[in-house]
Amino acid sequence: MLYTKTAAELSSMLRQGQCSSAEIVREQYARIARVDGKVRAFLSLTEEQALKTAAELDGRRAGGEALAPLAGIPLGVKDNICTKDVATTCASRMLESFVPPYSATVMEKLEAAGAIPLGKLNLDEFAMGSSCENSYFQKTANPHDVTRVPGGSSGGSGAAVAAGMAPLSLGSDTGGSIRLPAAFCGVVGLKPTYGTVSRYGLVAFASSLDQIGPLGRSVADVAMLYAAICGGDDMDATSINREYPDFGRALKPDAKGKTIGIPKEYFGKGVDADVADAVMAAARALEGEGARLAEVSLPSTPYALNAYYIISSAEASSNLARFDGVKYGFRADEFEDLTDMYEQTRSQGFGQEVKRRIMLGTYVLSSGYYDAYYKRAKLLQQQMAEEFAGVFATCDCLLTPTSPTTAFKLGENLGSPTKMYAADVCTVTVNIAGLPALSVPCGRDGDGLPIGMQLIGPKFSEQTLLDVAHHYEQLTGGWNQLPEAL
Amino acid sequence: MKIDVAHVAKLSRLRIPPEQLNQFEQQMQEIVNMVEDLPQPTVDNLSLRESDAMELRPDEVKPSLHRKLLLAGAPKKQAGCVVVPKTL
Repeated sequence: MLYTKTAAELSSMLRQGQCSSAEIVREQYARIARVDGKVRAFLSLTEEQALKTAAELDGRRAGGEALAPLAGIPLGVKDNICTKDVATTCASRMLESFVPPYSATVMEKLEAAGAIPLGKLNLDEFAMGSSCENSYFQKTANPHDVTRVPGGSSGGSGAAVAAGMAPLSLGSDTGGSIRLPAAFCGVVGLKPTYGTVSRYGLVAFASSLDQIGPLGRSVADVAMLYAAICGGDDMDATSINREYPDFGRALKPDAKGKTIGIPKEYFGKGVDADVADAVMAAARALEGEGARLAEVSLPSTPYALNAYYIISSAEASSNLARFDGVKYGFRADEFEDLTDMYEQTRSQGFGQEVKRRIMLGTYVLSSGYYDAYYKRAKLLQQQMAEEFAGVFATCDCLLTPTSPTTAFKLGENLGSPTKMYAADVCTVTVNIAGLPALSVPCGRDGDGLPIGMQLIGPKFSEQTLLDVAHHYEQLTGGWNQLPEAL
Repeated sequence: MKIDVAHVAKLSRLRIPPEQLNQFEQQMQEIVNMVEDLPQPTVDNLSLRESDAMELRPDEVKPSLHRKLLLAGAPKKQAGCVVVPKTL
């Protein structure tokens, strides 16, 4: 069954003429039709265009043309990434009818590479959330247990890949939004170094923290997709022009001789015993393969969540000011004047969590509060970057849990925003420092739920992270198993 | 610190319905109480590192999206302009 294959396997099969792109795409849509009623990962599907693109690629391949590794491979796309002529809603009433007049740079790159978008994936509204329960349209379920959350905000991206509805997906990560769904859904997810993937066409949440990244069921798949989307871009001044290796082609199992730091602050109170045990077992497995473990300390870690919510909300309050009912998106039906139009439109168009974040951001930037909150958070950000640089002087990478718990029940944390925010405690530090981090599965808890571990590296060390993860992947036999329940 | 939700909502161009105000105030105060726990800074100097500097593209005019495409999603338009309530 083609939908059970990884992207690398499908790419090889296509090159050898063992299947066609059209067959792969049809099987994926059949899989979606069978299981998405229970998972609710997709917000919209683009079947007609996908089959058209698949047929064109099959024709080109039959004509002898050598195509890129991703050609003919389907993927899902988080619905905060602009796709020309295809609705891009950010899972919000505010953009319910928004159809972008342009595609994000990552989508243009994927089109050139021949990848085939299957449809747009659910998320927490405007990428604000850790459970995918803040979507205006639907709540996505975890394919391993449909009474639980898939994680957020790229919940649809994690769930679609875990459920075999797509071999690959794109998500975005501002405080853990790729890595948390990857951990909760038992798949691989990469948050790249800030600046290595263009943000042009990604609807902005926190511009200094956001990054688009890949999810897949194997390290090789994530490497292949990352290689296709990374690179400098004239349309994004924060993107970085440098030589990027072909991460997929260069991938090799390589933990031997690596020094892996274990930061003690990530294993304290609040981290479930099952999670800590699984991550440490993985660490020891890598040690058995020739890696060296070293206990390290990142003293500012306990304050990272607070700094993250101040900085990200401040930026969000500015970025979401553009949603005012004037040029695009939702506009309220009745209002008295311009100010009333703004207030009615934004109050009706945004959900509760988005409003909370906008208000927090406005508060921390407002007169009399800027020094106490925003400036102190920015100073802490600088300090945290220096602490990471300090540990990377002696370590090749760090190993931590991706999340302190496994997937919680739908509705469990909705009553308390701060309880929900605690899911991000292991992931936000990475965004604050602009570093790359990769989440890979490392076991199951007592209820059979996936546990994720996180490899963090210095800037531009994605190849090291992928190689160490690939080494671990080979020890475990990999993670390409679809949930039996579906 | 106590957050004045009504004032901050006004600054944010949001309006919280009266029946939700109590719950909103409680939630916002819970969040503010959490985030204000920050250590005393050890330095007072926010510096831009050379590695943070952006590389700007040359200041050259290039083709961009046509106005018709950009206005296609506007809730109300007329004569190539977006229509909003008058302010004067």
